[in-house]
Amino acid sequence: MIDSALSPLGAKVVLAASSDENHPPESIIDGNPDTFWVSTGMFPQEFIIGFAEPTKIAAVTVDCYNVKHLKIEKNTSDNASHFEPVTEKEFEQTEGHLQSSAISLNGTSATHLRFIITSGYDHFVSVHRVSVES
Amino acid sequence: MVKLRARCLLVGDAAVGKSALSQMFHSDGTLFQKNYSMTTGVELQMKCVRIPDTNDSVELYIIDSAGRETFVEACEKMWGRPSLVCLVFDLTSEQSFTSCSHWMERVRAHSEGLHVPGVLVGNKSDLSARREVQASVAQEWAQSQGLEYFETSAKEMENCDAPLLSLARAFHSLYHERLEAIQNLQSPG
Repeated sequence: MIDSALSPLGAKVVLAASSDENHPPESIIDGNPDTFWVSTGMFPQEFIIGFAEPTKIAAVTVDCYNVKHLKIEKNTSDNASHFEPVTEKEFEQTEGHLQSSAISLNGTSATHLRFIITSGYDHFVSVHRVSVES
Repeated sequence: MVKLRARCLLVGDAAVGKSALSQMFHSDGTLFQKNYSMTTGVELQMKCVRIPDTNDSVELYIIDSAGRETFVEACEKMWGRPSLVCLVFDLTSEQSFTSCSHWMERVRAHSEGLHVPGVLVGNKSDLSARREVQASVAQEWAQSQGLEYFETSAKEMENCDAPLLSLARAFHSLYHERLEAIQNLQSPG
């Protein structure tokens, strides 16, 4: 099952490394690709999505712009304290439209997913939607 | 309201006054180091600059990097990918001005093809009798490189805020340009 909007299911963005009050991190999980979170300079950038309960995740789909390299880590405890690497993804540069990529997580179980953008194709990157296939 | 963060490289030949300017930026013009102490590595200063007429600000992470050739290679490893560049030369040294194009090449090699806004700063404007570089020549070269030109005197605390404000403004307008581009993107549906 694919949940394009995570927020009604109790998921939260518990941390984001940048903030522009017009483009809050909640935009990542509202299911709407027209709203977005934007980084405000320098790399790496990261955000952490926390789920209401431990969740088995087959894949995540990330819609973003100007992201070059993304690392995903997971945490399985309640307090987001210990993250272990899950996967990495290199994005192709796009012009005029969003990057979109389904990234397999092989049914891994997690309470938090941490997305680390280590580099971008521009000074600023945006993340429009993260949806989870469980 | 938004707080932007920019990695600002401070480069130029040895002894042109990069660290003195950096101190000046950091201390809001109260501290001029009278004794010369050569920077042999990389020093980091953070300076927050408010953008006038907005609630926005830019945190400049100023990377003051040694100018002496012997140390440059080691320092370059710490540069990362710059957001901004502040290129400094000594108005009383033609040689330090000539080196500027070489410094720009180095900075570009680290920018991965990205546009890096910047300023060219002719320092030591207090030593007018010993001036070797004419403002018009520096101005013209700066323009050809897409840099804004300033003359400062870290010693006399003259005009030291101007390059900082220019850098912050350049980054701020770049951000808004990019935001607009992102807002005009087509969603994947």
